[in-house]
Amino acid sequence: MFSGCAGVTTQPSAESAAAQAQPEPVKSENKAVIALLDLANTDNEAGRRDAADASLERALRIEPRNPWLWHELAKLRLVQGQYEQAISLARKSNSFAGQDRHLQALNWRAIGDARVAQGDSAGAERALKQAAELEQSQ
Amino acid sequence: MKFPSLPWSRLGSGFKSYRNVIRLVLLLLLLGLSGYIFYLDVTIREAFEGRKFAVPARVYGRALEVYPGLKLTSAQFVQELQRDGYHENPEPDTPATYKYTLNGVEFTTRNFVFGDGPQASQHLSIKFDDGKVSLLEQRGDKNVDLPLLRMEPPVIGGIYPGHNEDRELLKLNQFPKLLIDALIATEDRKYYTHWGIDPRGIARALYKTVTGQRIEGGSTITQQLVKNFFLSSERTLTRKGTEVLMALLLEMHYSKGEILETYLNEVFLGQDASRAIHGFGLASHFYFDRPLERLEPQEIATLVGMVKGPSLYDPRKNPELALKRRNVVLQEMASQNVITQAQFIAARQKPLGVVQRAPVGTSPYPAFMQYVYRQLQRDYREEDLRSEGLRIFTTLDPLIQRQAELALQTRLGELEKSRRVPANTLEGAVVVSSTQNGEIQAMVGGREAQYAGYNRALDAQRPIGSLAKPIIYLTALEMPDRYTLITPLDDSPLMWSQPGTPDWKPNNYDLKFHGMVPLHTALAESYNVATARMGIALGVENILDKLPLYGIERRPPPFASSLLGAFDLSPIEVAQLYQTFADNGFRTPLRAIRDIVTADGKPLQRFPLNVEQVAPAGPVFILTAALQGVVRVGTAQNLVNWLPADLHVAGKTGTTDDLRDSWFAGYTGDHVAVVWVGRDDNKPTGLTGSSGAMTVWGEMMKNLQPEPLQPVMPDDIEMVNVDPVTGLRYDDDCKTGEMMPFIKGSAPNVISACAFPSKDTQAKENAAEGAKVRPGDKQNPSKSWFQRLFN
Repeated sequence: MFSGCAGVTTQPSAESAAAQAQPEPVKSENKAVIALLDLANTDNEAGRRDAADASLERALRIEPRNPWLWHELAKLRLVQGQYEQAISLARKSNSFAGQDRHLQALNWRAIGDARVAQGDSAGAERALKQAAELEQSQ
Repeated sequence: MKFPSLPWSRLGSGFKSYRNVIRLVLLLLLLGLSGYIFYLDVTIREAFEGRKFAVPARVYGRALEVYPGLKLTSAQFVQELQRDGYHENPEPDTPATYKYTLNGVEFTTRNFVFGDGPQASQHLSIKFDDGKVSLLEQRGDKNVDLPLLRMEPPVIGGIYPGHNEDRELLKLNQFPKLLIDALIATEDRKYYTHWGIDPRGIARALYKTVTGQRIEGGSTITQQLVKNFFLSSERTLTRKGTEVLMALLLEMHYSKGEILETYLNEVFLGQDASRAIHGFGLASHFYFDRPLERLEPQEIATLVGMVKGPSLYDPRKNPELALKRRNVVLQEMASQNVITQAQFIAARQKPLGVVQRAPVGTSPYPAFMQYVYRQLQRDYREEDLRSEGLRIFTTLDPLIQRQAELALQTRLGELEKSRRVPANTLEGAVVVSSTQNGEIQAMVGGREAQYAGYNRALDAQRPIGSLAKPIIYLTALEMPDRYTLITPLDDSPLMWSQPGTPDWKPNNYDLKFHGMVPLHTALAESYNVATARMGIALGVENILDKLPLYGIERRPPPFASSLLGAFDLSPIEVAQLYQTFADNGFRTPLRAIRDIVTADGKPLQRFPLNVEQVAPAGPVFILTAALQGVVRVGTAQNLVNWLPADLHVAGKTGTTDDLRDSWFAGYTGDHVAVVWVGRDDNKPTGLTGSSGAMTVWGEMMKNLQPEPLQPVMPDDIEMVNVDPVTGLRYDDDCKTGEMMPFIKGSAPNVISACAFPSKDTQAKENAAEGAKVRPGDKQNPSKSWFQRLFN
């Protein structure tokens, strides 16, 4: 069914290398959501942003309150150059993040990156400072 | 031949000029005729080229995502299969077949092209346990676990060219040879050799005209195609002449194959309510629910037989006539050696085998389709929508839609009966969206949901009454130093003068005034006067300024009465408003369309999820707690008759003057839904928000089995144990009191002595005496004095 996966073989090895460097957080307990995240990742790496977007939205329909999925969508908007949306989605991820400081920090980093891209250096600085504080408090 | 340049100058010069006049007249006639032929030529070519490609846009509902753990019963799953046109088959290995197993279903999906790419057909097996999917496997030598299956989405309608013509366009080589042979054997045996007309047929027609009989028959396939282009059953000699000329012209321009292909796609083969069935490809699905290549000879004969009279030989309306006609066609097929004698004998003994189905017309969901269509019209030209074969993927969930339709229909009937209201006077509308992504899952435009009439969900603009109150309360709660859930509000008589309007004296629904009431109670009980006074204190303009943030583009009149909802919104606009409250202050524009794909499967447009934070999360969290109070102890407490208290539903009732409009808007963990009930003539219904619309809402939600509403607590919120009436604070471990959310720093600081043995009178007495100030707390003495007085 995940015909989108076919043809991209380099990706999994790169993924596992990254996974060895730092343990990946468990983004979902639901295998369907994990499958969609993998699919979105593959499509994103291959530059198929719309397909990645569609898969993330499918995952969100299954777990609409999963903050990792909102975070992934924020990161996708960042590479799509939609910075306002990236910021909004990172905020939305944080609204579901509860006490997960690691994820909150990642979201503030995404907000910081979006602000940099928007040319808002003061805003970026504030966001990245927030991220740093959260990383330290973990 | 020389053309006379100025013919009139030579007139009157004897015989020679007389001959010239004849010559001139002949010439003009010739010119006229060739002009006419040229005109016919252009017309017929335009029609041919145009029809060759006119494929309606196909609109799909949401694709069901199936995965282990999904709440879905095997009955619901089979319903979904049937909606997608699957058939039961003891060996479910061809696409779109299924069979029941011990605790599940085995089935085979179709190839399908989604907005994000194709998905191949798969042999699958699914099992259910305790109302959930327990196992999903790919069948093979060894079954393989599958994490997820995206089902093909159900077709929910189309956007059709003129006269609501529907068709499924096929290429000539996609039509079974048997069908073509049968058609030619029955309708036009000399098709491959004639020039577009059958001279003997025409001679016969002429003879009949001369002898005063009806003009009929003698039409070749080419002539029939011409006739089909210009839908007119007029039978005159000129028309017949035009038809002959056009048929000849068509044959000059196009090959036999092209003409046949167009004919096979074009021929009219029946009517489905408002929708016209054109072409054999669609007719095969319409009558047999299978693609053409899977039809048996007698089924092909049935369709070919219908060409002669689609209405007369309609196998659903006139099965005996259709059967007789089918057997005539089979006979022709046998005599032309299209089928063998043995095939003929076998085929003519079989029943018609037409699938029974209710007519659905252009769509069974006209209200939702209208919404989709209006959105599309912003970006697409009408003729592209009607002819380019676009595939439009939408958000409609047929399961939810069904429950919304049923709830509205049954509850309105019951309300009319129990309240002795004349039957069929109440009307209503329902909009259901998904809480976190704003996708419209269901839309009902009236109690007869299948009827494409007045769409109340979009077009009924009605005063929203108390549904407006959360806007005021949210504005207040965004100022935590001034307003918390326990802030006392003044519900004593109010008169408000504003230039340009008569003096305004709002009343409560119970026509009483309640003195000082805590803020959460004023919302739960929907006290108009307390709310209006607070709204005036906050500034009417300040509050109305917020509406665009929540996606309401129209601006209500700047009068204080607008605070109490004396302005009109449609149910869909109210849904947009409550979406933001339900989604922690994030506004997501309501969406009905996800993707648009071209006829050949290329992505054309995506409508991605868009969010914007328009209200801070803390105050929205508190507002939701207050709206949960409306359902727990306030005007919507009877909702418990439908939904268990542990769903923690948040909602608001709305009732307008003289009980004209009955509203309920509310949300669960997964759905936002708005119901309006009223009359089209705007007369009083005798229903409040809770006795009317809320009961529809409850009935629908009960059957949707919603997720409980459990918003994540924002960082700036603390839960504090307070007495919900007096606003006194207790230690958190005290058994008296109720945990309520406050923006950090806004909760009362006075800690009252806890009288844990008793929760009522004793506690309150002790509380009043034992109030103490924590060291270092900045205390507002007037507030605590006031609160004690109020107690």
